Amino acid sequence: MATYTVRKLDLRSLLQKIMQSSELIAPVKTDLVRFQVVEDPHDICLTEQSFYPVKEFIFRKHEVLVSFNGKKVITPVLEPKERVIFGLRRCDLNAIMHQDKALIEVDVNYRAQRQNLTLIGYHCNEAPSQYCFCGTLELKDFYDMMFFDRGDEFIVDVATENGSRIIGKYPEFFRKSNHKVTEADKKIKNADRLFKTDISKLYDHPDWQKGVDKCLSCAACTSLCPTCYCFEIKDEVSIHDTKKVDRVREWSSCQLKGFSRVAGNHVFRDNRKERFKHRIYHQLDYFKKRYGINMCVGCGRCITACPTRIDFVDIINGMK
Amino acid sequence: MTKPKVGFYGLTGCAGCQLSVLFSEDEIVSVLGLIDIVSFPFIREKNIDQHFDICIVEGLVADKHDLETLKKLRENSSILVAIGACAHTGNVPAYRHYTLKENYQHLLYEKKEGIQDIDPTPLDSWVKVDYTIPGCPPDKREIMNFIKALLLGKEPLTYSSPVCVECRRNNNLCLLEEGKLCLGPITRGGCNSVCTNGSFECWGCRGQTDDANIPAFVALLQEKGFKREEILKRMREFVGLKLPESTMVFFNGNNNA
Ligand code: SF4
Ligand code: SF4
Ligand code: SF4
Ligand code: SF4
Repeated sequence: MATYTVRKLDLRSLLQKIMQSSELIAPVKTDLVRFQVVEDPHDICLTEQSFYPVKEFIFRKHEVLVSFNGKKVITPVLEPKERVIFGLRRCDLNAIMHQDKALIEVDVNYRAQRQNLTLIGYHCNEAPSQYCFCGTLELKDFYDMMFFDRGDEFIVDVATENGSRIIGKYPEFFRKSNHKVTEADKKIKNADRLFKTDISKLYDHPDWQKGVDKCLSCAACTSLCPTCYCFEIKDEVSIHDTKKVDRVREWSSCQLKGFSRVAGNHVFRDNRKERFKHRIYHQLDYFKKRYGINMCVGCGRCITACPTRIDFVDIINGMK
Repeated sequence: MTKPKVGFYGLTGCAGCQLSVLFSEDEIVSVLGLIDIVSFPFIREKNIDQHFDICIVEGLVADKHDLETLKKLRENSSILVAIGACAHTGNVPAYRHYTLKENYQHLLYEKKEGIQDIDPTPLDSWVKVDYTIPGCPPDKREIMNFIKALLLGKEPLTYSSPVCVECRRNNNLCLLEEGKLCLGPITRGGCNSVCTNGSFECWGCRGQTDDANIPAFVALLQEKGFKREEILKRMREFVGLKLPESTMVFFNGNNNA
């Protein structure tokens, strides 16, 4: 749509202004970098990749789908407030796009969280983590605004009405620019680690075992993955009145044995190897077959967080 | 619906499990509307000579008196529930099984007449246990869910996933990365990762998951500089007599690995 520049010096004041009318969510560093609701823009960290992704603010960890009050079923009224997320990397933004593909039409709760939400990116000039591999994954431009870091200033690419609205509201921070954002601007250094993106014929390859042998089935990978959306549904009966029930949805994970437990106590993905491969195949094969694009965005969080550092990129690259 | 008669009973232990039940102050009043608590040593008389629809027992068998009580409770109860790590696994007291008597003899109470010592053992070493609510102490939500399930005629579900699942959901910094010996990946959760939320490593009080990858986990800990003996010791500390056979075999079979 249009390109602007913002002086780096002004960034905190801009965010401070935004905070006056919206909730601001951004990566904040304490013992780790996590996306959280910002209290002071000075806490925002742009020098590292966030360890925990932004996912929980949209695909929430615990959500009431419907309630039964003893007489009738009630659907919760969802009124999402005005929210701005700042500091999303290209991978984080694409992850939201991928979750949208799977959830936005079918899931009322998810759709509600996606309303009144402005997405502002911070583009990586260079991979912030040794495990990043977004480079070979055909990521798209998916943002309301994207900030490109150019030393003393940012080049800001505005892509949507939502983005323009921010410019309109705080014009004092933005200067119109003639720069046209090019492919060269979007190039990220050291993020091209994954050489093979088609694994459809490798399912029976013996090398998967290298990962399986080290896998603890702890589900750190899926919890931290910005695209994973496995859940379970359960009924929570009130102890105060056992006729009242909330039907809730909670995060789960395909890495857990209990996840594929069905009536009669049968676990159909009992075997660790099948569970391990299921995650990778969902990310790099099944999703593509259904939605035409890989689910994985190459953020590498599942490797950074894996206690035994199973690097499926290395495993795939090594497959003959 | 007639209210089920429920008894709580404590064998040898710290009474912490009964306290976890008492501490559910928001719920306890509602619970009392649903069940008839006929015995609760902390707040009522403890009469074991009566019928219980559900009897919830904490603590372990450590002397003849405990054993007689337990057998009686079993006879008198339709459903017997072991609550807490002592009743479930034997917990820390059962560590006695792993050390020589001369190491602890001086710590034992002076033998008074009437005390007839038995090596500390969990309930299911002696009687049939219908359900277990694990943990040291048990989690109050799990206790409530258990009671609700029984009242609704549902099979109570035991949480089966490792502690890491809740720990990551709570956005914690992983203590393994801090060089701490955390047993989260092989320990059954359901505790809302209460220890690791406070930066205290998981000591495995709820018992091992049935999905633990012991060779991979021990290899990881060894890479981080822990010795096999200290790993085994930590694994045994809270799971008493319930360290799975396969884990024992792993440690016995590869002493020099
Ligand atoms: S994968 Fe890494 S380099 Fe690529 S956008 Fe994400 S954080 Fe940046
Ligand atoms: S984080 Fe690593 S060890 Fe844990 S389930 Fe995922 S791949 Fe396995
Ligand atoms: S699978 Fe791993 S690299 Fe891919 S999006 Fe998920 S966490 Fe990132
Ligand atoms: S701190 Fe312990 S429980 Fe938490 S993720 Fe790490 S290993 Fe698992």
